Amino acid sequence: MPLFGKSQKGPADVVKALKEAVNSLEKGDKKAEKAQEDVSKNLVLIKNMLYGTSDAEPQADIIVAQLAQELYNSNLLLLLIQNLNRIDFEGKKDVAQVFNNILRRQIGTRSPTVEYICTKSEILFTLMTGYEHQEIALNCGTMLRECARYEALAKIMLYSDDFYNFFRYVEVSTFDIASDAFSTFKELLTRHKLLCADFLEMNYDKVFTHYQRLLNSENYVTRRQSLKLLGELLLDRHNFTVMTRYISNPDNLKLMMNMLKERSRNIQFEAFHVFKVFVANPNKPKPILDILLRNQEKLVEFLVRFHTDRAEDEQFNDEKAYLIRQIRELKPIPGH
Amino acid sequence: MIMWTPAEDIKKSENGATNKSNVRRRRTGVYKMEAAEGVVFQNNRFLSSLTIGKRKISEEILPPGSPGIFRPKPTTCEHLTFSGYARAAKQSFGNLLSRKMATSTSQTSVPWPNTKDDYELGKVIGVGATAVVHGALCKPRNEKCAIKRINLEKWNTSMDELLKEIQAMSSCNHENVVTYYTSFVVREELWLVLKLLEGGSLLDIIKHKTRASNCKHGVFDEATIATVLKEVLKGLEYFHSNGQIHRDIKAGNILLGEDGTVQIADFGVSAWLATGRDVSREKVRHTFVGTPCWMAPEVMEQDHGYDFKADIWSFGITAIEMASGTAPYHKYPPMKVLMLTLQNDPPNLDTGAEEKDQYKAYGKTFRKMITDCLQKEPSKRPTAAELLKHPFFKKAKDKKYLQSTLVAIGPSLETRVEKAKKRQPGASGRLHRKETGEWVWSSEDEAEGACADDSSDSDDGAKPMNTLASADDSPSGSDREEGADDGPPPVNLVLRMRNAKRELNDIRFEFAVGKDSAEGIATELVGAGLVDGKDITAITVNLQKLIDQRDRQKIVTFQLNSPLNSSEVPDDKALIGYAQISIMD
Repeated sequence: MPLFGKSQKGPADVVKALKEAVNSLEKGDKKAEKAQEDVSKNLVLIKNMLYGTSDAEPQADIIVAQLAQELYNSNLLLLLIQNLNRIDFEGKKDVAQVFNNILRRQIGTRSPTVEYICTKSEILFTLMTGYEHQEIALNCGTMLRECARYEALAKIMLYSDDFYNFFRYVEVSTFDIASDAFSTFKELLTRHKLLCADFLEMNYDKVFTHYQRLLNSENYVTRRQSLKLLGELLLDRHNFTVMTRYISNPDNLKLMMNMLKERSRNIQFEAFHVFKVFVANPNKPKPILDILLRNQEKLVEFLVRFHTDRAEDEQFNDEKAYLIRQIRELKPIPGH
Repeated sequence: MIMWTPAEDIKKSENGATNKSNVRRRRTGVYKMEAAEGVVFQNNRFLSSLTIGKRKISEEILPPGSPGIFRPKPTTCEHLTFSGYARAAKQSFGNLLSRKMATSTSQTSVPWPNTKDDYELGKVIGVGATAVVHGALCKPRNEKCAIKRINLEKWNTSMDELLKEIQAMSSCNHENVVTYYTSFVVREELWLVLKLLEGGSLLDIIKHKTRASNCKHGVFDEATIATVLKEVLKGLEYFHSNGQIHRDIKAGNILLGEDGTVQIADFGVSAWLATGRDVSREKVRHTFVGTPCWMAPEVMEQDHGYDFKADIWSFGITAIEMASGTAPYHKYPPMKVLMLTLQNDPPNLDTGAEEKDQYKAYGKTFRKMITDCLQKEPSKRPTAAELLKHPFFKKAKDKKYLQSTLVAIGPSLETRVEKAKKRQPGASGRLHRKETGEWVWSSEDEAEGACADDSSDSDDGAKPMNTLASADDSPSGSDREEGADDGPPPVNLVLRMRNAKRELNDIRFEFAVGKDSAEGIATELVGAGLVDGKDITAITVNLQKLIDQRDRQKIVTFQLNSPLNSSEVPDDKALIGYAQISIMD
């Protein structure tokens, strides 16, 4: 270890030093500059223990275990996240790297850090509010997505009130932050199929009321992305109940029919993939059937000319042909 | 009760909330039109007044009194490509700049804003398949910047890919890596706000120097090359330590500040942009990123992944480029480049030489450094950090040196303006159909490196190595004189068709028989944003037909492929779903 040879500090020392430095950074006393330096230095030390360097291998498991234990006991992970905005540019990235590595750590089938964070959900909520601060949003996003990979942590986030803040985050004006928030949002809603399905079923009204706003957003990217995700959610067989509920609502059908005619071809295309579910439903409720029947001819005519240049997309053409056939053959429910 | 016809019908019957959103959306619609006007206007202004290559394309709106379109904008609309970078920026912002100097210390407090109105777009300084780069002024900060406008509707790659690239950029904070400030959505465009580097790209400077002086035996001296490349390596080292791969290192992506700062630009965004992929092929082809001449063999092969060593290969090619003025296989079409790279021994400084000892001025250390980088086995190539220790980089000097050897000799104002006249978004290069079936946009510059350009845009003077102009450094406009003005006069044509807003337009252009191809012109029209890409075949076929029978036939009307709105009925008289090409003279 030529670079850090002299400071053969053990995990306990490094964690202690880092904690002191962060504390003094938080207080913002005179030694702030020194504290900044110490934070960076110790973060690099920890990072190198976990990842190694070009000259040194990562530390042995026992050292890493010790390090993790120190991090839990000192409550340093939370402290780092709370003070992330005070840490310098490279330091912020190091925090995220250290956090994610520690999070992934396994003992057999156990993930001790996941268990730890379950008891310290403040970590998750602090990370989520990170999206409100431009200078740390992406770092927090990196950590949040790593958390979202664990069902237990995803569950805490999904079922919290803070989850609904995502509907705001995905629409902020800074594109990279909004998109980052969107990928976390998507991860939370799609990663753990059963959890997600349960969540959407139990919170259907609240979620889809919020979701509607995304579909009507003024922001083109929000509209396009949320429509695409909606399609994916509805077509996931785990979400069958949610899908059935969604496609029974005539307002949703109207929205999709309008989006089919949006100016943007990409949005038209995504709308098609939601619209098809309404048509393909073998048990269309009367209000849905009524709308389709009323527009039967126009829809057929429209679909025939819809994105005709996608000749190579076989699946799309098959689906389109199927929809046209379905709509042509629609008949009013007998007795009405 | 509810009929589907106009979208509004449904909205009307909906509850208040949706109506509100409808109104909001509609306002956005108006907004869109305003911006589109700006673009149309710029095109028009440019096209009606300037000649691109030998062909003149002009667009007029019919009837002349069409509402709104010609509302003049006070902004200057000359189009400069990267070479126009410096002077354009200086000209537009000269006064403001001096003010900025005075206040520069206090202005760090104002964050980069995310609204279009806070920026004043200046001249176009770069053009890609789905993006345009402007010089701009950030009004609240009183600071100049570059704005890259990416059209997301034309962006066929997934948004995730785009996000990844931008995150890569925003996670960099290094002197030698282009500085990203912010990004936001304007209607269907993504605006990336970046640091403006006034010196232009290294390629601009190479091209200028080879035009202005005799570079047969090499473009730059070793000290200059070492100085620039050392900065590039520092950027690469940072990049790689961040876990990122650039994937498109080349002189065209190395930018210079007026103070001699060297920065790596275009994080693969450019690479993605450079391949204007066909929407319908998107699924099938997720082909390579990068420009063939600079591409490492393992990237071409694609059977297994590649890592940051791919950038080292491109770096080696860039070193050759700085000495000889071009990448080794620049004369060959892309597929040939792939074959040569995969089958032959790695190229070296003399690969592209036309005479023995042409580059004898370059020493062993330099050559060894290049050989180290260009090893087919990636693991044998040194890392950026290792390369920095290579003896060749002991020759490196400081920024000041670059100021005198690069920035000072950069294209003069006259040359830049001259060049700007010849270039224009969509006309400065052309789309090529690669052997793989992909459409690739090549700017004039890239065309030299990446594609055997068989187009008529050969007014560029001879290839750098053949230029035997006087060796003084004075910029000359005369070296751009065209030697091929003989031959039959070009045919003047008008393409009459409706634009996306369904206004009837006349697009004028020339066709030099024997030099132009119908397909080339059609792609150029598409590239210029004047014609929908879906109509390219129809236009090509009918233009060719008309040219072939020009003695007998003066006009042709034909059906277009681009879809109509559902309310529109095709009509060949009213030119709805139809277009018309006629011969003017």
